[in-house]
Amino acid sequence: MPRVSLPSPALNRRRFLATAAGGLIAPALAGCGSLTSGYEPDGLVLHSQLGGSTPGAPAFAAAVDTFRKRNPRTPVKVLSNADDLQQVYETSKLAGKEADIVLVNLYDKSLAWTEVGATVPVNGHMKRWGLHERVLQGPLREWTDGKGRLRGFPYLRTNWPVAFNTTLLERAGVDGVPTTVDQLLTAAKKLRRKGISPVTIGGNDWSGQKLLLQVMQTYMRPAEAKEVMRTGDFSGSRGARRGLELFVELRKGGVFADSAQGLTSDLMTTQVSTQKAAIASMLSSAMGKVPRSAAEHITVGGWPVPDDAVYERPTIMRANASLGMWISPNGEEKIDRVERFIRFMYSEEIVSRFVHGGRDMALRTDQFSTEYPLVAAGQKLTSDDVSECVTPDVYVPAAATQPLIQATGVAFSPGSDARKVRTALEKAYRSAGA
Amino acid sequence: MKRIRLSWLPAHVLAWGYAALLLIPVYYFLASAFKDNGAIFSSPLGLPTSLSPDNFTRAFDLGGLGNAVTNSALVTVGGLAVTLFLALPASFALARSTGRAARVMERAFSLGFLVPTFAALFPTFLLAAATGLFHTRTFMVLLLPATAMPLSVVLLTQFMRTVPPELEEAARMDGAGTLAVLRHIYAPISMPGIAAVVLLNFLNFWNEYLYSLIIIGPDPDQRTTQLALPTLVSTSGTDYGVLTAATVLTLLPVYVVYTVLQRRMQAALVSGAVKM
Repeated sequence: MPRVSLPSPALNRRRFLATAAGGLIAPALAGCGSLTSGYEPDGLVLHSQLGGSTPGAPAFAAAVDTFRKRNPRTPVKVLSNADDLQQVYETSKLAGKEADIVLVNLYDKSLAWTEVGATVPVNGHMKRWGLHERVLQGPLREWTDGKGRLRGFPYLRTNWPVAFNTTLLERAGVDGVPTTVDQLLTAAKKLRRKGISPVTIGGNDWSGQKLLLQVMQTYMRPAEAKEVMRTGDFSGSRGARRGLELFVELRKGGVFADSAQGLTSDLMTTQVSTQKAAIASMLSSAMGKVPRSAAEHITVGGWPVPDDAVYERPTIMRANASLGMWISPNGEEKIDRVERFIRFMYSEEIVSRFVHGGRDMALRTDQFSTEYPLVAAGQKLTSDDVSECVTPDVYVPAAATQPLIQATGVAFSPGSDARKVRTALEKAYRSAGA
Repeated sequence: MKRIRLSWLPAHVLAWGYAALLLIPVYYFLASAFKDNGAIFSSPLGLPTSLSPDNFTRAFDLGGLGNAVTNSALVTVGGLAVTLFLALPASFALARSTGRAARVMERAFSLGFLVPTFAALFPTFLLAAATGLFHTRTFMVLLLPATAMPLSVVLLTQFMRTVPPELEEAARMDGAGTLAVLRHIYAPISMPGIAAVVLLNFLNFWNEYLYSLIIIGPDPDQRTTQLALPTLVSTSGTDYGVLTAATVLTLLPVYVVYTVLQRRMQAALVSGAVKM
């Protein structure tokens, strides 16, 4: 019969180890500071998308540090998320634990925040604090909803020019940057012959959706384009139908990179940075990530248009509704501290940091980035160089944003004709109840 | 002899081929941690030109991995402790009981497998908010064992059923109480099962993302590695060298734990008790 060993030195050792482990874990979990998320009732909680490796993150971190030094009695807690910020903020709001100020794009879910009370309109604060004059008219217009409510304090904006790698174009025997559709089609053929991807694009995400809608606008005036984006009535607009036919013609002409329907914006930037592709329609913030070794071969311009387009020059988009500062209901209760922080962020000193950190601002400033030449080049494009078409972000209904992005993949997939693309886009709107 | 070797050739080819299939991605992953984007995309399988730790230090700084690994360790170890604390006595009781109530209870635990993870998300969120534990790791330490109980209890119950009742009878005659029987008879004999439960739950707890995202939220002081890693992904251009370096760092604890427990786990798998 096996002997049952009751308490022994070995067991004492085990007990000791268990006690020691418990002794280490319990205080760490139960310690007041580490148990809760650190919300400061007397401080300020910021929830920002400007973290990790996002362009502008170092400028934001430095700005917060400076604010802390100048306001030692206001503890500042910075929470951060990447693309999942909107979802996390919404659940925090449901639990009543949302941050005081949210720094996130006006896009997708956030389009509905003011309407549902997730954030508060800031018209009154903007006026009282005298910050109106600091903001550019374009961003101010786009941050104002259909009911005249200013949804947040506009902060960043984004240029959306087209990057052309002139060295790769020259290697393929293309003279100059293509500015017409015919030149683009010819360039694509020559580039392919040399094994170079012509236009890289994230056909699987929002970057592909932007380019699709940009090309679709070729035959639509801005007012018509806005209406189509709001309603999703692509069939009802002759301009939209012709634009989609042009898009399919470009795809069939080999303009877009192989398997573009599976690429993302992230991979697009990588292909530009590694000089695998010659052309890309890129966010200026993404251009800030292109290494100097590649950037010195790149010039910026607009998307080529045909002779009968409604736009005279190659088109670009300027996303006025990029990142802004939203005030939450919790923030409204400590509005004096919120005011101090927003005034600080709007100061020329901090704006300058962001400009030199490679970001485009929604605020008035006469500075240009010296560290990021492609970003600066995008800022300097004028109406003599390019025509500005409509950026869809604030016109596509929030509920239709994601379905529309998913439908975009159809447009980049080989074998889809214009009718199929149109049907997929309209279905996306219908599925969203838009 | 030669014929025997030849007959084994297909098996060797398949085994080595399978090993290569597993090793090539691991190599690609490790090599990428020492490269920049240019090198990763121009020569994906090439050796790194330097073994500079830059990507690792940048990953540590940008992703706040110091805090994240600590938080993951706290949540995982805390969750495992609670799981074992609850599952061991429950399995012990179920293994020794023969009545109808025990059978019903055991089936009730098995029903836990049928609850889809996503379906429980919203009620869990409401519970976290109602208990005041929303945006805390503590809630995760309490929640994760709840998700692990079905597997843990069912597995351990099967193990404990293999313990001969004579051992308990002998212990009782020596004056052992119920707790002593659990500690000195059932627990040591069920050690392979306990190791399997610990390993499987460790992997689940360490890699948990969805609930951590919603419950723990955005606080860098609280978030786990699975929440910290996505902050290194940027829609405007990810530095894949830094991202893979960060992933390597967060996988190291998993590798260490697996290495330590793998023998016990294998013993559990071949012992028959886990073949349900």
